[in-house]
Amino acid sequence: MAEETVICIGCPLGCRVRVVLDRRGRVAGMRGAQCRQGEKYVLKELKEPVRTLTTTLRTTDPEFPLLPVRTSRPVLKTLLLDIMKETAGVVLKPPVRCGQVVVPDVAGSGADLVATADWGRRGRGQTRE
Amino acid sequence: MPERVDVAVIGAGPAGLAAAVAAREQGAERVVIVERAERLGGLLPQCIHNGFGLLYFGEDLTGPEYERIFIQRARKAGVESRLESMVLDISPDLEITAASSRHGYAKIKAGAVVLAMGCREKARGALGIPGGRPAGILTAGTCQRYVNMEGFIPGRRFVILGSGDIGMIMARRLTLEGARVEAVVEIMPWPGCLVRNEVQCLHDFGIPLLLEHTVTFIHGETRIQGVTVSRVDGERRPVPGTERFIPCDCLLISAGLIPENELSVRAGVKLDPATGGPLVDENRQTVVPGVFAGGNVVQVHDLVDWVSWEAEAAGRNAARFADRGSMSFRDQVRVRAGENVKYVVPQFISGKEEVTLHLRVTRPGLKAALLLGGKAFKRFRSVRPSEMIIEKVDIGRLSQAVREGELRVDCRIGEEA
Repeated sequence: MAEETVICIGCPLGCRVRVVLDRRGRVAGMRGAQCRQGEKYVLKELKEPVRTLTTTLRTTDPEFPLLPVRTSRPVLKTLLLDIMKETAGVVLKPPVRCGQVVVPDVAGSGADLVATADWGRRGRGQTRE
Repeated sequence: MPERVDVAVIGAGPAGLAAAVAAREQGAERVVIVERAERLGGLLPQCIHNGFGLLYFGEDLTGPEYERIFIQRARKAGVESRLESMVLDISPDLEITAASSRHGYAKIKAGAVVLAMGCREKARGALGIPGGRPAGILTAGTCQRYVNMEGFIPGRRFVILGSGDIGMIMARRLTLEGARVEAVVEIMPWPGCLVRNEVQCLHDFGIPLLLEHTVTFIHGETRIQGVTVSRVDGERRPVPGTERFIPCDCLLISAGLIPENELSVRAGVKLDPATGGPLVDENRQTVVPGVFAGGNVVQVHDLVDWVSWEAEAAGRNAARFADRGSMSFRDQVRVRAGENVKYVVPQFISGKEEVTLHLRVTRPGLKAALLLGGKAFKRFRSVRPSEMIIEKVDIGRLSQAVREGELRVDCRIGEEA
């Protein structure tokens, strides 16, 4: 039997939920969650903790040296640093549209890296008045 | 002759954009945003993380995505903008003076003005930390700009003073970029950030959060070499004998935000010392007729979604004011922050229609009760200073709670957190 503590992020309460795991790592009991949604979150967080990764990629434009990107869906928490390493050398060329896939299936995560801003030949997402 | 516009909006961040769009939708003919930067969007482009728009759009957006939607709305709505223009003065009769290297010196006469200048970070000077004055001490937001927009990382080993949300977001970002975050040092017994940021920015990466600790000395002559960190007692005084040295080459300050109101004061706007923002009524009008305010210039919000909503109200009412030429300040009822309430916005209401109260507690606690006029209004399992409480109060409950022109708001705690 092992115990793990998971803090629920569902609301300001931030319940510290203590989970008892059996020898096979299955959830045998749970204490401290004040609602059902919290229990669901804790189970998911134990089984498959996922996060949306947001970062930047280099561009060829010295005036806008970085373009912000995100994963197209949440990825396993354990893959975050792998994705950072794999994309460290990527350099983007304009134009890139917000929502465009810039790195498909990044680090074998099944998710794509997607631009979160427009970057045209005349600059990032902006035209002057 | 000054140029005439219906509504002038000061600042092109999320508040300014939302206010300007709302003013146009309300029928204002000429709506002009005056912005000192060279682009619209304010600080959103450097906030590349997600968590924006969950309430407003029901979608988990990043800062640049949120900004993009509002810039598109502003274009579509026919909002004009005057970029690279620094507003120097707003007179009580709504004449704006702006200076710009692109447009020169300009006077704009507005039918109504919306203050949307947002807020700024507390810097080292506001905290009074002893020690040297080496390079390598910057606010979390400045670091965010360097890392997310300019493309460089200002250090390798970081200590973060204060557990505000921007500092937490940067702790994660710097770790992902390969820097080391030695510790987050928080003087209060509770974190200053949202729960989700404590978990996803610190716990995920094993970054220590030292509660009831503060930086008591900064080491280094030319570049910061490290900091002395001490535990503090209940009065927030450092406890002798608890000092320890943490080496670092960068200290980030993430110790809170202050509404940016130098211009407001020049216009004659009165501020609430508890929020640092203007005293406003439910229309978000300030005590100066025709001057409205919305977003972080009024109160520092947790979520941009509420910045947008508050600024929309300011923009709509500014358009109404510009159309009619007047709108009375609704000061029939004074809203008073009582027990364990740091502030309530709006500070003045008519008491004659439903109102949404924004408030923060002073101390965290469990089994809390929000009281209006001494009567229980709502119960909360938990309250924290870092999580704003937002409650709509209908006219029935409101009229029961108002006594002698005052609406008293208390938040009683059942158990200490």
